[in-house]
Amino acid sequence: MMDMEHRAPVESTSALHLRLGSFRYADADHDTLRAIELELSPGSLTVISGDSGSGKSTFGGVLAGMLPRQGADSCEGTFILAGQRIDYSPEHSPRIDVAGWARHLGLLPQDAGLYLSRIRQTVAEELVFARENEGMPRKEMTELITEFSTRLSLEHLLERDPSKLSGGQERLVALTALSAANPSIIVLDEPLAGLDSTATATVTAMITRLRAAGTALVVLTRTTEAWEAEAETLLTLADGTLRPATRTARTAASSSKPSGFAAAAASEKPLLAFAGVQLGYKGASAPVISDLDLEVRAGECVGLAGANGTGKTTLLKAAAGLLKPIAGKLRVTAESGMLLQNPSDQLFERTVTREIAFGLPKKGLQRARVPRILEQLGLASCAQTHPYELPASARRLVALATVLVREPRLLLLDEPTEALDPAGLQILNEVIDSVLERGGAVLFSSHDERFIARTAHRVHRMPRQ
Amino acid sequence: MSPNLLLPEASAAQLLRRRVLGAAGTLLLVGTYLFLVITQPTGIVEGLGQGVALATFAAYLIAAVLLLLAVLPDLPVSALTLIPVALALNIILGQFVGSVMVPLYLDSIGTVLVGFLAGRRAGAATGVLSTLIWSLFAPTVLPFAAGAALVGFLAGTAARYGALRRPYLAPIAGLVAGVLVGVVSSPVAAFVYGGTSGVGTGAVVAAFRSMGDSLLSAVTKQALISDPGDKAIVFLIAALLVFALPKRLSGSFEFIRRYKVLGKSGNK
Amino acid sequence: MKRRITQLHPFTVLCLAVFTVAVATAASVWWLSCAVIVMCLAIGAVAGKARKLAALSGAIMLPTLLSLLMIHGLASRDSSPVIAAWGPISLTRGGAEVAMMLALRTAVLVVVGLLCGLLIDKHQLVAAIDLSPAPPQAGYLLASTLFLLPQMMEKQHAIGEAQALRKAGTGRGLAGWLQRLRLRAVPLVLSSVQDAHDRSVHLAARGFPARGEHSRLRQVADSQIQRGVRWVALLCSVLVPAAILVPFGGAA
Ligand SMILES: Nc1ncnc2c1ncn2[C@@H]1O[C@H](COP(=O)(O)OP(=O)(O)OP(=O)(O)O)[C@@H](O)[C@H]1O
Ligand SMILES: [Mg+2]
Repeated sequence: MMDMEHRAPVESTSALHLRLGSFRYADADHDTLRAIELELSPGSLTVISGDSGSGKSTFGGVLAGMLPRQGADSCEGTFILAGQRIDYSPEHSPRIDVAGWARHLGLLPQDAGLYLSRIRQTVAEELVFARENEGMPRKEMTELITEFSTRLSLEHLLERDPSKLSGGQERLVALTALSAANPSIIVLDEPLAGLDSTATATVTAMITRLRAAGTALVVLTRTTEAWEAEAETLLTLADGTLRPATRTARTAASSSKPSGFAAAAASEKPLLAFAGVQLGYKGASAPVISDLDLEVRAGECVGLAGANGTGKTTLLKAAAGLLKPIAGKLRVTAESGMLLQNPSDQLFERTVTREIAFGLPKKGLQRARVPRILEQLGLASCAQTHPYELPASARRLVALATVLVREPRLLLLDEPTEALDPAGLQILNEVIDSVLERGGAVLFSSHDERFIARTAHRVHRMPRQ
Repeated sequence: MSPNLLLPEASAAQLLRRRVLGAAGTLLLVGTYLFLVITQPTGIVEGLGQGVALATFAAYLIAAVLLLLAVLPDLPVSALTLIPVALALNIILGQFVGSVMVPLYLDSIGTVLVGFLAGRRAGAATGVLSTLIWSLFAPTVLPFAAGAALVGFLAGTAARYGALRRPYLAPIAGLVAGVLVGVVSSPVAAFVYGGTSGVGTGAVVAAFRSMGDSLLSAVTKQALISDPGDKAIVFLIAALLVFALPKRLSGSFEFIRRYKVLGKSGNK
Repeated sequence: MKRRITQLHPFTVLCLAVFTVAVATAASVWWLSCAVIVMCLAIGAVAGKARKLAALSGAIMLPTLLSLLMIHGLASRDSSPVIAAWGPISLTRGGAEVAMMLALRTAVLVVVGLLCGLLIDKHQLVAAIDLSPAPPQAGYLLASTLFLLPQMMEKQHAIGEAQALRKAGTGRGLAGWLQRLRLRAVPLVLSSVQDAHDRSVHLAARGFPARGEHSRLRQVADSQIQRGVRWVALLCSVLVPAAILVPFGGAA
């Protein structure tokens, strides 16, 4: 159905050439992407940074042929991929074979778990899911698994259940499965978000190996710091278009350490006190946490640090009253409010305003506070939007707002920095300060050592199991 | 080797095969139903009873599987990933309701939801699959697959012709669907199992029987009492759930866009 | 012995089950039905699942039996002797017999079916379906549902916790119940429909559903004998009931 001109091989050494005039989602009132030109050469590393909602994931989708969706989104532009030329125009968008496309260009989604099929019992089976669909004989698949798992050092995971992997392992498996098709380009959406330092090192090492093998890599990220040394091209995505980025390191978000409070706090009564507490889940053999001693006083901000799986969330849940200690004494003397790691579980209303005002008495003081909270968290412009339609960073702030309207004196935050962009981080810091100022306390967990160092008065390190 | 970046067009031969399978399934279902209603076989336990039980069981099950085979290859991937969610919802929400002893089954919320979001074919497939998979835990539901397919099919049809454009239309559509489903499923209950499997429903059937009804008509009347109400509530809940979805998400289903299921697009 | 049973090809188990149910239903004699049930329990015991099997089938059969007794025993119009009477309601002997016969018929289906469900390894069943000529979608849907169920239960639990943190859904009475249903259902449906939608593009990118031949890494042990057994069992589940019922039907 495409005419011959489109099929004609195009003379070019680049792995991909893209000229994107515009891209607009169905029902949207403005172009999400416009006037973008991109050329990728084999073995290169291109880093594209941008704030939450700037369109990074959208761009990733366009690169992977998943967007525009037929009959919905409108797009204008030209791709030259694997010697084939694809033209998009508002009147006619070609029916893309995403599976064929993925042989040339693989996309690791922002949530790597989405890439996994969730229907295979072992990682080994998951790795060859795409090959199974192509009908590759069993013997070749076995060889492929051996080859790739040794090359990317993944042998220890092969027999594991893919649905019981940690975030970092999920990303490794998805990345290996992606590269098993030998695509000439791999696009990674936020490959390092939410990983602890060991997992970060493993993922980075794998990316270096893939590059050495001649794969062109595109990284979409909120912060460029981790990539500046290696990247050949640094670009920023803003206002829907790509521009070269300056290489100077971003100045860290302001908010100097509020040291004044820490001294005053020592004399205050503790709002939260763990004494020899043991925490665990029903049916588990060993407790997750034992012999925990921790006090949080008014005016104090305490950070919880530790690797994945050391029980930071468990501790916070206990402080919020969701979990009873198996042994020891836990005392909470103030109203507490908790922000969960996954904000979506907390959201169920149709608009941001209704969400925040949910369950508050009609004429109460708290209800009157809603507009001010919206303002404080920079959400005033999206008060009438569905929480699910917001970018990740804003959605997280909405969840934070639902906690803040009740003005808890003890604020518990589980991985609050995850998914926040620099502007969001700034707001988070202000919120923490304001809670401390009015005599409250904050206990938060984080992987981000620099955020902890900047924000917390005191750090509690979770012991390794 | 350079794989294609563009999709080929669907071939006519495949289309024909699916039509034939679908027609065969429907015919088998309708034929069995009419045969049972017209001949009204008696003697449930002796002789003929077992033959009728086996034949009804087999015919309803085979019809459901034929219908499934007819629609499965056509479903877009977005409908395929939605179906397992619906099956799980059938079970989980059904359980939540069951746990508070409300006299409803509400075990088809997911099926109706898929019908609303992805159309009648996907709805029908969900109904059949839901029953097949549920039968791993409760084998007696197997021959009710055809009835469940009908629920999904009717939900999709209702959505296509505008039952979701006004909130009060959904329960009305559910009422109508409940009548049809009740009528179609009662021969299974009557001729395969000789009654119903719930204590409450059993009492109702017993009451009709003692008033002199035949088993089939007693079971049908019982179904006409409980099914329409149940389906009306299920359709209403499923409609409210669809309304709660963000426009962006519901609008990404082709079925919803194509038939303007939620009314004029753009009335944000 | 236990390993033998659990290592059978899933389709062999299913074909034998179809055969057993068809023959026992067609014959409809009480001792055969009882024998089948006892045999199933014995196989369940060998595989170490007897208790679960008994509990599950009991949960299904008890209400069914009660319902059948009501429909046929109480409302029976025959003139057989009355076994028990409570005021105007009476249970006749003929009615009770009919109800027992019907209950036995259902019990065979329930016990055999549940035994299949317990014996067959779900992953093997999915692989067997994938390797059969069935459309590739069938295996996916089965697998995905079986794996989603526990995940969504967990999600449901997490949502409950999140609501508790917001102190939402504490109302009482019908309104409170409806509120709780909404608070549970909406986030669950929202997040799982969104997840399903996001997942679908990546599945498509991984070549699913396969358009041509497809293969599986997982092997499903099979043998010539098992293949033979399957065909014979299927053939017999049509022929034996026909042989039992056709002369019978003529006589009735
Ligand atoms: N399906 C959709 N329909 C309409 N608009 C959308 C859709 N998906 C995203 N958008 C909008 O497009 C813009 C870009 O979103 P995108 O997800 O690409 O941002 P992002 O840079 O990846 O953000 P994040 O860093 O939070 O992942 C946002 O304003 C978003 O609201
Ligand atoms: Mg993104």
